[in-house]
This record gives sequence, structure tokens and C-alpha cells, in this order.
Amino acid sequence: MSDAIRTHDSLPPGVQLGEGAQLDCADQTFKRFFSRRRPGLVLGPRVVVHTWTAFSVEPDAVLEVGEESVLVGAQFMCGERITVGRRVLISYNCIIADSDFHPHETMSRREDTIAISPQGDPATRPPLETRPVVIGDDVRIGVGSMILKGVRLGRGVVVEPGSVVTRSIPAGLRVAGNPARVVREP
Amino acid sequence: MSRHLEHDWYPAPVPDNVVIGEGSWLYSTYAFVHTFSRRDEAVRIGRDTGVYEFTHFGLGPEGEILIGDFSTIGGAIFCTNGRVEIGDHVLVSYSVVFGGDPFAAPGDEGDGDIFIGDDVWIGTQAVILPGAVIGDGAIIGARTVVDFEVAPGCTVAGNPARVVKSPEGVAARA
Repeated sequence: MSDAIRTHDSLPPGVQLGEGAQLDCADQTFKRFFSRRRPGLVLGPRVVVHTWTAFSVEPDAVLEVGEESVLVGAQFMCGERITVGRRVLISYNCIIADSDFHPHETMSRREDTIAISPQGDPATRPPLETRPVVIGDDVRIGVGSMILKGVRLGRGVVVEPGSVVTRSIPAGLRVAGNPARVVREP
Repeated sequence: MSRHLEHDWYPAPVPDNVVIGEGSWLYSTYAFVHTFSRRDEAVRIGRDTGVYEFTHFGLGPEGEILIGDFSTIGGAIFCTNGRVEIGDHVLVSYSVVFGGDPFAAPGDEGDGDIFIGDDVWIGTQAVILPGAVIGDGAIIGARTVVDFEVAPGCTVAGNPARVVKSPEGVAARA
């Protein structure tokens, strides 16, 4: 293990760290961690979190990562619940989001733009539509991929680099492209 | 002799196996926190080349990065135990990843080689992987994944990637 990886000694409340879990924190890692749940973030035993990872977690949301998973550069955008299994690898520049974070309906979205404007009141934002994301054990997610709301990746799914995954994928399959489609094993 | 960058906020000196050419600029030696290459020359930056914020040289023991002259590395992540060669007058945008493997991670970088010719322009968040041999003057669109040969002067974009323009004219849509 590189000596650049260190365990953070002042984690925000609500972060539960398993035995031997290691975080290489940067300024942005918990900058948008707002969960009031206890715990709001669970990192299982021996999980490794590298410096490019960010946990953006809304007040009522929960993010769980199973043991021995390696998070290299995932930006988690969690409005409700994201569950990552065991021995999962997520490479650089990935986004895992369980919401689109703005309403699809035009007039609601207009309300949202007013609520989040510099002089607006974020408390007046319309409710978020969320759909939990579940990433199964032994999934591997390649460089620069996105996993979007409501997606369940079955055990051992391989997401090729640069994929945008918008639908659930059964166990053992390989997907690629934008939008991601199942590809045959080479 | 230890070398410190005058403008650097990070306390480490430039590693002994990093060569920075005349007139070139490196934002910080923070770029080398994961540089574990044992080569005599792990990173060689030519002359008048800029290597800007968030660029990161994550190199395994055999890793090697060679960057030419008058190139701009806007903010790239290199994660490899192989060799990446970048030519002269190359533009690399933000958050481009050069990986030794499609699932590159620190400590498990992968060791495939990558070659980028002269006058190449790489768009933001593109992913450049082993097998990439990008010819002179080619353009790689944003978020394109390249693990194949790109002929000189071509433009490739999309995912799956396709040639959208070639020196002879606009390519027919597949």
C-alpha cells in the first residue's frame, strides 16, 4: 500500500469506518456530505478510498460500501440510497447518482432554478425524484463511466470505460457505450 | 541536488527522476505523490510545455511518461505501469485519463503503452487506453474512449467511438 494513503482523523459525524478501511481525503471528499443519518456513510472493512472520490450525500440519504471495495475516483451523488457491494472497483472520473437532482417537468424545474438562485431559498425547492442505485458484488466500473438513478448492476457486471448506464444489468454481463448496451464477451 | 518549484505550495522537491525542460511550467510537485516509477527517467517534460492543476502522474515501478515541446496538459490523470508518449504542440483538456488498463487504480495501474503524435487535440474527459496510437493532427472528442489506432488528421468522437471526419472529408455515418 502506498504511503500516500492515510486514514483521516477528523471525519464528519455519520461516517462509519470498518476495520482497516483507508481514506485518502482531499478537500472535496466530504465537502457536500450533508447526511443527518447515523450512519449516513458506511465504509466496510478494508475499503480503500482514493483522493479523487467525493461523497455528496443529501440530509436524508445513506451510502453504503461493502468490504474490500476500491473507490478510485467516484463522485457519489446520493439523494436517497446508493449501495455498493463487496470487492467492487470504481476507477477514475466516475459518477454514481441516484437522482437527476432537478425536476423533469418544465414548470417545476423553473421553480427549482428560482429556489437555487443566489438570492433564492433552497428550502423552497420542489421535492427530488430519487431511485436507489444498487451495485452488486465484484462489479468493475471502468474509467469515466456514469451509473444513473434506479440502476441495479448484478454481481460481476463489467462496465467498460466511458459508459453511461441508464438501465439495470443482470449479473455477469459486460456493457459499453452511451447509452450503455450489453456487449458480447471478447 | 533537490529542486523546488518557486511557486509551489506543496513542500516536496521535484523527484530526481523527473526532467522538466527549459521554459516549461508545472503547477506543483503534488503531481508526483503517486509516482512510484523506479526508472531513471520516469517523467520527461520537453521545453515550453505547461502541465497544469490536477494533473497527476500515478506511475507503477515501470511507468514512464514522455511529453514533448509546446504542449498543454490541462489537467490529466496518468495511471500506468507502462509508457505514455505525447508529441509536440499537443493540447490535452481537463480530466482526461491516460490509463494502463480500462480499470486502472493506484497500485494496479496496468502496463499497456499509449502513443500520441504531434499537434493532437484531446477533448475533456476523454479516456486514452492501451492500444491508442493517435496520429499527428488528430482530434479526440470529449468523453471519447480510445483504445485503437487513429489515423493522422482524423477526428473521432462518441461512445462507441467513430471517425466523424477524416482528412479526405466527413466520414459516412456507420
